[in-house]
Amino acid sequence: MTQFIVRRILYSIVTLFILSGTIFLVVRMTGDPVLLLAEAGASTEDLDRVRQQWGLDRSWPVQYLAFMENAVRGELGKSFNYRMPVSELYFERLPNSLILGLAATAISLLVGVPAGIVSAVKVNSWWDNAAKGIGLLGLSIPGFWLGLVLILVFSVWLRWLPTSGAGDWRHVVMPAVALGWYFAASMLRLTRSSMLEVLGSEYIKLAKLKGLPEVVVIGMHAFKNALIPVLTLAGVNMVVMINAAVIVEVIFAWPGIGRLLYEGIFQRDFPLVQGVVIMAGFMIVGINLVVDVVYALIDPRIRLTR
Amino acid sequence: MRHVRFRVFAVAAVLVTVAATALPTWSQTKVTPKGKLTLAWHAGFASRWLDPQEHDGTATPDNFFTAIHDGLIKNQGTTLYDHPALAEKFAVAPDAKSATFTLRRGTTFHNGDPVTVQDVKFSYENYRGAKADVFKNRTERIELVDDRTVRFVFKEPFLDFAILFGTANVTAPGWVVPEKYYKQVGPDAFKQKPVGAGPYKLVRQEPGVKIELEAFDGYYRPVHTKHLVMVAVPEAATRVAMLERGEADIVYNIPGPLIPKVSKMPGVTLAPVLSGSFFLEFPGFQDPKNPFHDKRVREAVSLAIDRRAMNEAETAGMGKVTGNWINDDVQYAIDWPEFPRNVEKAKQLLREAGYPNGFEFSWITPLPTFYSRGERIIAQLREVGIRGRLQTMERGIFFQKLRGGMKEFPGIQMILHGVRIAGSWSFWYEAYFKCGGANSRDRVCVKDLDAKFDRYEKSINAAERKKLAEEIQRGILENHYLVPVFRHAFVNAIGPRVTAQKWQDIFPTITTGYAYPWEDIKVKE
Repeated sequence: MTQFIVRRILYSIVTLFILSGTIFLVVRMTGDPVLLLAEAGASTEDLDRVRQQWGLDRSWPVQYLAFMENAVRGELGKSFNYRMPVSELYFERLPNSLILGLAATAISLLVGVPAGIVSAVKVNSWWDNAAKGIGLLGLSIPGFWLGLVLILVFSVWLRWLPTSGAGDWRHVVMPAVALGWYFAASMLRLTRSSMLEVLGSEYIKLAKLKGLPEVVVIGMHAFKNALIPVLTLAGVNMVVMINAAVIVEVIFAWPGIGRLLYEGIFQRDFPLVQGVVIMAGFMIVGINLVVDVVYALIDPRIRLTR
Repeated sequence: MRHVRFRVFAVAAVLVTVAATALPTWSQTKVTPKGKLTLAWHAGFASRWLDPQEHDGTATPDNFFTAIHDGLIKNQGTTLYDHPALAEKFAVAPDAKSATFTLRRGTTFHNGDPVTVQDVKFSYENYRGAKADVFKNRTERIELVDDRTVRFVFKEPFLDFAILFGTANVTAPGWVVPEKYYKQVGPDAFKQKPVGAGPYKLVRQEPGVKIELEAFDGYYRPVHTKHLVMVAVPEAATRVAMLERGEADIVYNIPGPLIPKVSKMPGVTLAPVLSGSFFLEFPGFQDPKNPFHDKRVREAVSLAIDRRAMNEAETAGMGKVTGNWINDDVQYAIDWPEFPRNVEKAKQLLREAGYPNGFEFSWITPLPTFYSRGERIIAQLREVGIRGRLQTMERGIFFQKLRGGMKEFPGIQMILHGVRIAGSWSFWYEAYFKCGGANSRDRVCVKDLDAKFDRYEKSINAAERKKLAEEIQRGILENHYLVPVFRHAFVNAIGPRVTAQKWQDIFPTITTGYAYPWEDIKVKE
């Protein structure tokens, strides 16, 4: 087991290393950030001065080494745009993103899982068709459109909710729905397929033959086993919702990490984009590592086959 | 304060003295600031916009400077640059080799420290933003004459000093920061917690998201609104919804498709502030092989463009079709009649130039993100047989390519620029027409006009400068070296809580699209 964990940790480090190199190169391929930092008529000398000030005059390998050296120490550099440490900016926005991510995850689970179960249990019925329709809409309606419609209906017409920004619970409702809607649809589809697979298995048939009530068969036997992939997906989805809810956060002026990333990209703020992506990667790799270890603990076949 | 030391400049003295000895005309009546004003800003906030020492040379930071900081002189209302602010008076010497400012009595920074001549000297010497090199290279020394008087002495006549020094949307060495505090906290921390001498002091800042300000009771002018909150809302439809719900009182930058909706909102006033000028450039037209080398072809392009239709479609008619490519709110800009649209004449000119069936060009590249304007021009040019395609770029790449010069725009191309520069016509010429200019590089080179511009730069005779400025602008327009299209409208909206008879009450400053002076804005209880 120890060997398995060590191997997984090494894989995670390699993944993060590849991610850091990729994002480092990708942001630099977008162009010279100095042109956005200096005024339109800045002289070449001024541009060189700004480049030197931010260490952009050094070669890429030197810049990368400096970036990695700082990252290992937990420093993600200083934002060009905000003149603040990226880690400080990130953790300042993190609570807002956590609130939004958790609320959206809750919505996606509360909508997606029950609808998926009903759809699977009443397969090929009116209920199933309705659920499949919801799933299709959820995956195809763009988040920005849904967000604007929600603002129009609930803020402008009904005046129930504030249009944007962060504050009390009322500020969370619309962005959480707009963000959770897509993920609810993916949850619904996964729950449905997972439940259908479990409902067709031998032990469920046996439970039914033994005369157990359907509620017990579905709730106690089928749902528990069908839930494992659903929860795994929910975990990964939540990390995505926390770190990359770019469109929803921009529409609702929600001060989260997604918007920070958007601003970083827009301003070619290399340290900011690198920092946010690395932190998101760190979370995803971390969660996957935990999930892998837990799986291996639960099911010894997993650690033996890898 | 006047210096008449050089007889040789006696005549010029009358013309070039821009002494502003006018005492403040505003009321000193004490008012109690009331209420809260919320501004929905149209992008994210950059922290550098709160530090005048690092002015980025764009028109954006003055929205924030004018709330938190103050300059010795500034652009305000219809005054281009010499509105007395922290300085109660100033004078430029007749020989333009020095400028003397007298500080207003009793002004303080938000932390209670007095505004001193030493702070003025520090702010000037430590300034490292846009055009810092221009000031540094031309300044010989700064004299602190007494505790209220500071004199900038130049190495040679510096005729554009006052206009540069006082135009907040170009540069900011005259915007005074507290030396002691600035040095104590350092430039980065200053951007997070700036202390200025402006009408509003910072209460709280969420970087990139929100700036909360409170009226500064030590300001020398009455400040009418107690709380000023600036919220960054990148999505235009959300800003409009905020206005409709009363969550925002002033909303910047309403795009064309939303203008009809906003115009129907009860109590809401649209504020279409005239902004950047859009004009066409023909990169490398000097090359005889380039079709645009022929003046008749450039004129045909001008005749093919339907400027009024463009204005109607792009800004709901709220922009302005003007004849000059340089905005009329800068020094020495000339008035020029609107260029006509005449498709038949355009076709005839093309025939005369040897293009009876028109010709193809590679690309037209509009300033990002105004791509639809490029598409309209393509459609209009097609009517006279000039056929081409649209090239879109990300904003940073666009400016990068502009700086790359002709090699970035090979073949037959057009660029649709959108520019707003305050201050002087010469800043426009320098950046977008002069051979080797910051944005024109080697794409535009007209030697005789550049020679005249050199004379303009060297002259200390105001009358001669004005004459040269007009000659150069006429030369550009008569030869269609650049083809003006129209002036864009930066459309804002004012909510019903703001007291205003007309939109100009809230957006009175002609050189900017923003709502300052902030201290003058009143909100209803």
